[in-house]
Amino acid sequence: MNFFKRAWLNVWAKKGRSVLLILVSSAILMFVLAGLLIRSAAVKATAQAKADVGATVTLSANRQAAFKQMQNSSSSSSKSSRPKMTLTPVKLSDAAKIASLDNISSYNVTSSTSVNAKSYDTVATSSGLSGGGSGGPGGMKSSTSTGDTQIDGVTSTSLATAFSSKQSKITKGRGITTADKNTNHVVIEKDLASQNKLTVGDTITVKETAGSKDKVKLKIVGIYKASATSSSSAGPMSTDPANTMYTSYTLANTFKGSKYAGTADSVTFNVSNPAKISSVKAAGKKLINTSKYALSTDDSSYQTVKAAMSNVASFANKIVWLVAIAGTIILALIVILMIRERRFEIGVLLSLGEARWKIVAQFFTEMLMVIVVAVAIAGAGGQFVGNQLGSQLVSQSTTTTQTTSVTGQHGGSGTPGGGMKGGNGGPSNLGQNAGSKTAKTDLDVSVSAVNLAELGGFGLAITFLSIMIASGGILRLEPKKVLIS
Amino acid sequence: MLKTQGLGYWYQDKAQPLFQDINLEFDVGQSYAILGHSGTGKTTFLSLIAGLDKPKAGDILLDDRSLNQIGLTNYRRHEVSIVFQAYNLFTYMSPLNNLLTAMAITGTEHAGDKAFALKTLNDLGIGADLATRNVQHLSGGQQQRVAIARTMAGDAQLVVADEPTGNLDEDNTQAVIEQFQRIAHDRQKCVIIVTHEPDVAAQCDHQYRLENKQFTKLS
Ligand SMILES: Nc1ncnc2c1ncn2[C@@H]1O[C@H](COP(=O)(O)OP(=O)(O)OP(=O)(O)O)[C@@H](O)[C@H]1O
Ligand SMILES: [Mg+2]
Repeated sequence: MNFFKRAWLNVWAKKGRSVLLILVSSAILMFVLAGLLIRSAAVKATAQAKADVGATVTLSANRQAAFKQMQNSSSSSSKSSRPKMTLTPVKLSDAAKIASLDNISSYNVTSSTSVNAKSYDTVATSSGLSGGGSGGPGGMKSSTSTGDTQIDGVTSTSLATAFSSKQSKITKGRGITTADKNTNHVVIEKDLASQNKLTVGDTITVKETAGSKDKVKLKIVGIYKASATSSSSAGPMSTDPANTMYTSYTLANTFKGSKYAGTADSVTFNVSNPAKISSVKAAGKKLINTSKYALSTDDSSYQTVKAAMSNVASFANKIVWLVAIAGTIILALIVILMIRERRFEIGVLLSLGEARWKIVAQFFTEMLMVIVVAVAIAGAGGQFVGNQLGSQLVSQSTTTTQTTSVTGQHGGSGTPGGGMKGGNGGPSNLGQNAGSKTAKTDLDVSVSAVNLAELGGFGLAITFLSIMIASGGILRLEPKKVLIS
Repeated sequence: MLKTQGLGYWYQDKAQPLFQDINLEFDVGQSYAILGHSGTGKTTFLSLIAGLDKPKAGDILLDDRSLNQIGLTNYRRHEVSIVFQAYNLFTYMSPLNNLLTAMAITGTEHAGDKAFALKTLNDLGIGADLATRNVQHLSGGQQQRVAIARTMAGDAQLVVADEPTGNLDEDNTQAVIEQFQRIAHDRQKCVIIVTHEPDVAAQCDHQYRLENKQFTKLS
């Protein structure tokens, strides 16, 4: 192909012009690449955020149904002075069924109660209010009376919200694990431990508040530190957060009484793919008696992260298209100028009987040679630009995410009539969870082969379009007017 | 070989043609000079003969086939070779590549033959040293000789030139006109040259003057 040789001779002979074209094209492509990088990084980060932040489905008693039932009974038979709302504890056999569904990675059983301190003193709240408040307004009286020590029975502390959101941390010994099932192992708070000079391996005695009110010996296997934020989330009606102990849910059930064996207050399932949360909920509903139990979902943190990341992605998308269009226009103008300057050459080609499409093909080939070098340069430089832009965008999006999650938290803890037995953190913590997790979400901005291929595609398209736009000039050019003036 | 039949041309006003009803005949092995005052339409006439534009009236026939029938691009590629006053060459190439490029586009029998191109250039005084430099480093006379060499390297029977010596000094003018004569006589082509210079015209086999919209044969 003769036009190919001409293109090469021209690019080579006019090195200065070629270098300038390469620089302009590199600059355009670098911006395109930066946009591509941020977009693909946002997609990656969203996938990562799904895994990191996750979403949960919680199985608990159907509060609404119970409330309705209570109202019905009070209206039909007004003999009892005060109607009682009965909540059916969640059956662990139901939980096991739900846990076997697809997309459930793990689950945590929560069973909370309270006991009274026997061999140690509880920590008084800093405000001077002593623990053991008898339930705040809207608080529901449970069948058990309230003790001064909060017992949070869990499957494992690492799955408990307070620990997974990093608000509480094991500082000594270890947390509660599934191996602690049916043991009297306990994890106590640091302040309580230091006040009573207790350490890992020591034994404490508590007195049950329900049933036989037995004295029970507990063995300390770990000490945790509760952060300042968790104390506020505990709400006004609970004791100081330092008086919260973690045990296996089996022990909490024992404290509540024999009829609570194999039950739980609630079971939280971690959904591995948050996008599937509604189908998980639907499948779970088929497995339970919905008049007694309810399945609630929480993917707010996932949604927040997803929204923030899709903002970044759509912004990057706009950058890509804007730059591509602007680049096409700029290159087209340059090519038009180039063609004007080369009208004698085009005239000679036409007078030799060269086909016009081959002249266009020559210009296209020349630009293609330029673009190939420009893609390589942009590939190297785009890494730098992408890094700068990426970190800028992430710091912005993280700020928005955190703001959103804080608002979410207020909403959560503000729900009245919430906590069973003095609110054990509960869903309000999930909001904070989102904040802390997103802060870690980094945009991995690195040039992959796919990015380079995409960039090449854009380069090709920009070249093609700009030559097409400019070639109108070549196709209209009359050799007579060019050469005879 | 080449005939014009009732040829006429005007730019804007049909009532004011540059020339009209022109019936001329050009043959191979002959050289023709076209003289005339500035603005009479010599270049316009040449552009019609070269297939760079279409006549407004009448027809041009190559071996009794109308140029329209042959197709202008096809005609330019295979039948005619043009030498302009300037800007004949690809500035980003050497003389050798200029010849090879033209030979490739027109598809002559020697296409791709580097030795043939070098020999053609050498015949016109462009040695191997000059032949491989960029053409921009050649003098005006040398450049014009490269353009003529390009014409000689092709198969086209018809060679048209618009003031090919317009930018040249006396010596170069003489050298160039001698080459055109050789093209006509040795290569048996038909050479048509538009020129202002009576000396140049006098060396051609036939002379015409464009005057009052008509071509007058001087000799
Ligand atoms: N594209 C055009 N549109 C309108 N008029 C034109 C155009 N090209 C040339 N002319 C006019 O046509 C006339 C003939 O032009 P042409 O170039 O053929 O003359 P010429 O004989 O070659 O003159 P010169 O000896 O100066 O080269 C001139 O008056 C010129 O102004
Ligand atoms: Mg002229």
